[in-house]
Order: sequence, then C-alpha cells, then structure tokens
Amino acid sequence: MTEIVFAAGLGDNIVGVTSYCDYPEEALSKPKIGGMSNPSLEAVVLLKPDIVIMTTNGNSKEFEMRLRAMKIKTYVFESRTIVQLPDGIRLLGEAIDEQERFDLLASDIENRLNELRARKQATSKKVLFMIWPEPLMVAGPGTAIDDAIDLLGAINIAEDTNIQYPKYSIEEIVRRSPDIIFIGKATGMDMQGTSSGLLSRLSYLPAVKNNKVYFVSDNLYRLGPRVIPGIEELAEYLEGSEDSMVRGENNSLLKK
Amino acid sequence: MKLKLICIAIVALMIFIVTLFIGPRLISPFGMTGIEKQILFSIRLPRVIISVLMGMALGASGAVLQGILRNPLADPYILGISSGAALVAAAGIITGVSFFGVFTIPVLAFTGALITGIFVGAMGWKRGGFWPDRLLLAGVGLGFLFSALLMLIMSLSSNEGLKRATLWIFGDLSIADWSLIPYGFIFIVVGLGISMFRSKALNSLILGDDLSHSLGFSPKKERFILFISVGLMTAASVSLGGMIGFIGLLVPHIGRFMIGSDSRILIPVSALGGGVLLCIADLIGKSVLSPMELPAGIITAILGAPYFLYILRKKDVLSF
Repeated sequence: MTEIVFAAGLGDNIVGVTSYCDYPEEALSKPKIGGMSNPSLEAVVLLKPDIVIMTTNGNSKEFEMRLRAMKIKTYVFESRTIVQLPDGIRLLGEAIDEQERFDLLASDIENRLNELRARKQATSKKVLFMIWPEPLMVAGPGTAIDDAIDLLGAINIAEDTNIQYPKYSIEEIVRRSPDIIFIGKATGMDMQGTSSGLLSRLSYLPAVKNNKVYFVSDNLYRLGPRVIPGIEELAEYLEGSEDSMVRGENNSLLKK
Repeated sequence: MKLKLICIAIVALMIFIVTLFIGPRLISPFGMTGIEKQILFSIRLPRVIISVLMGMALGASGAVLQGILRNPLADPYILGISSGAALVAAAGIITGVSFFGVFTIPVLAFTGALITGIFVGAMGWKRGGFWPDRLLLAGVGLGFLFSALLMLIMSLSSNEGLKRATLWIFGDLSIADWSLIPYGFIFIVVGLGISMFRSKALNSLILGDDLSHSLGFSPKKERFILFISVGLMTAASVSLGGMIGFIGLLVPHIGRFMIGSDSRILIPVSALGGGVLLCIADLIGKSVLSPMELPAGIITAILGAPYFLYILRKKDVLSF
C-alpha cells in the first residue's frame, strides 16, 4: 500500500506505516504503527489520519472494524492479482479524491504490463519460484509471482496447490523437473549461502546442472508498482535462458 | 521377552523399508527409472533414516527421563533443550554466523541444546547429585526463559529470513540430508547405548534412591550418566529435524502398557516404537496433500493420541 501511495507522488501525505513497509527508503523514516497483522490501534489514533488505507492481503478484518467503530475513515484495497492491480489503484484514487495521480499510475502500470505480455515466450517453460529453501517454501497460486509467471507464458510447477505459499515436496520438484528455478531474496539473509544445501542435494536436476538457478529480488512479493520491474527481471532470465546461459552466469550459484 | 523384542525389531525394520517405496507416489523396487532411483536414494532414504533416528532418540530418552525424574509427564523437551537450540540457532542467524556452511543451523542448534542441557544439569545439582524435581523445574524455567527470548528476537526483528529460517524448529524432516546423518547417528547410538547399558540401574532408580542404593547402585552417579545420555540423544534429534511432539512423552507409556515397565526392554521398545511412529507419520504427512507437505509432528500426535487414550481407558492398572 505504502509503495502505491509513494509511487502516486503522495508520499509526503503519509503519516504512518507498518514495520513491514520498507520500500521506498523514505518509508523507513515514517512513524511506525506496528506490524502488518497486529498494528497498534492507539498508534493509529494518535497520528490522526484523514484516512487509513488497508489491504485484504495481510491486514485483519477485525482491525478494520475497530477503526470504523472509532469513526476513522478507512479504505480497504481489494485487488489480489496483477491483473486487478490497475483497477484497484484507480478505485483507491477515487476513494481519496486524488483520481488524477492514481489514474496516471494505473495507466502507466497497464501499459507496461501490455508491453510485458508481448514478451510472452513461445515455448512454455516450467518454472519454480522458491521463497525459502529449508524448510522449502515456494510461490503457489494467488501470488503476484504466480501471476507474473503466467503472464510471461511460463508454467509455475507449484500452481496445483491450493495455498499461496505451500511447503512443497522436494520429491515432486525432482519429478516435475523445472527448467528454471528462481530464488527470491529475504531481508538480511544471504540467500546463496542459505540455498546451497538444498541446491547441492538437487545437483542432478537439469535446471541446477545447467546453471538455470537465478537469485532475484523481492519485487514480486507485494502487489504494487514494483511488480513491473519484478516481471521484467523474470522475463529477462526466461529470455536469456532461451539463447545462451551467459546472462545467468554472474548470478548463478554453481559457477565455480 | 527377548523373542518379543526381536519380533518388534523385525516388524519395525519391515515398516522402515516399506515406507521407502510407498510415498506420495509409489516406487516399484523392481524396474526403477533413473529419476526414481535419485528420489529413492537422495531424498527418501536419508529422510527415512533421519525420522527413524529422531523417533528412536525421542522414544528412548522419554523412557529414560521419566525414570530418572520419576515423573510420568517428563518428556525430552521439558528440559528446555529444544528452546535453547532454537534460541541459539536464531541468534546465530541474526549475527550472520556461517562458518559451518550448510551445517551452520544444525551445529548452532546442537550447541544450544548442549549448553542448555549443561545449564539445566547445573541448576538441578545440589549436594553432589541431581535432584529430580530440581532438574525438572530448572528445565521448565529455562525453557520458558529461552522461548520468551526467542519470541523477543522474532518480534523485534523485521528480518523475514529469520522467521522462515527458524520455522524448522517446529519439526521439519524435509531438510533431511545425507551429510547430517553420520553425526546424528553417532550421538544417538552412543546415547542409546549408554541408556541400555545402564537400564538395570534405571530400574532401580524408579524404585527410589534408597532401594537403588541397597541394590548396589549409586543413584547419584547413575542419574548423572543417564542424564547425559538423554541430553545427547535429544540434542542430536533437535539438530536433525527440530521438535517433534508426542513421541518422547507418550510412546514410552504405550510401551509400558504393552510390555511392562522393565527398562531393559522398555528402552529398546520405546526407541523402536518412536522410530516407527515418526516414520509412518512422515509418510502420511508428505502423502495426503501431495505435492504439499504437512509437518510430521502434527501427524504423530493425531495418530498417537487417540491410540494412547484408547489404551488408557482399556487398562485398569497404570504401570508406572
């Protein structure tokens, strides 16, 4: 949420953020109101916001009820997928009377999404996006990551689970043998080191053997303007793996 | 009695082998494809071995601990060992320790577990020996302190990696890997060996220190030796795959219902029972919702608890 408001150019109007809002950098210096799922009501009231913007993906319904009970104006952002994102942004703009800025942002995202759709791959590659290696957690359906993979014409091999971030079977990864493995970054962790154990155990997988393991940013972890560079990043690797492996070499773990 | 034990061991071994081939998808032992061989040897086999080792360590240390503490509610985690392991592992992750490479987290967890064990031992030590109630309370107290500190670290840190990295402590066998097995094996076999070797002394301890003394054992010394064996087994099992509930507490009781409370047989039976239960639980955990996995600890309790309650109702004498 914070990212969307900043991208629309209204960062200065933000009086408080959660402790999870770490992008853009200016957000870090905003007063904190607590965590994503457990914000402090007191802190919110003290900041006297004109409106509280929440999301269905992470904030609790109870908190919204309590805000409304205290007569604090509240808007809940309901988009869950990349496709819904531009319209969600437009609705948000309407809600806070800043249509122009938000429409602009929404159209910009829409245009760039269309450009990205044009980069759709002819051959659908099998992709696995790891959020965390041990215990193994991957991106399942209903995530922006899954949307991005889909938009680029690839197949998320974990799309048949029914939760967003399932604990996935290693055995099944071996059977489905992804063409490409992405590993997302986590704040404060050395992902190459953390993943080396799992990757060395999977060293016989074609994707690992052929250096098709890429460490990527966390741009796709939140539904906001950053999904665009996030999709671009995946697209580059998907295209790069088409012609040569050179592109991935700096990024790949097994270069030694 | 010997014969009974051998029968149980054979059945257990058969179960271990069968769980290798059935899984989320059946692998036929005859005519395996290349990929199936990979899955069998590099994924399933280490995982089955680790679940057997952990289950055995937990079952046996539960049986021993309930004896030396003379308390039917004792379980290997009651000594705070697992909370200590988790705390040290989390602290290590935050400070970015990584000089053991892939072994970093298991080594940190093992160190944490051992330090906690020594700490609890020191707190429970008075007048030249362990006092069962002191040990128990020291373990509970330290356990609370360490889990509170862990929670504190977690809530102060916005480090998402840390949260994910510490998830394994709640029981995760999917990290099973060949490289860990030799170390876990040594500690667990040594611990199991010590406790079986001293099982006669454990029998005497259950009767009380005075009787134990008159039977020719030194209760203080025996309690110390057995405590070390429990510490080794529990520390090794926590560092192999985190915490798995139920086994350490209830498998020894199920064993007592089945074969009586003679520690000489109870320890191996609890060990085998723990191994079988964890193995089957993990098989179910990774199969029912495939390709998703459920933590084995949930299944051990769902499987074991109803059975335990059933025999609890059926038996009219509790043989502790």
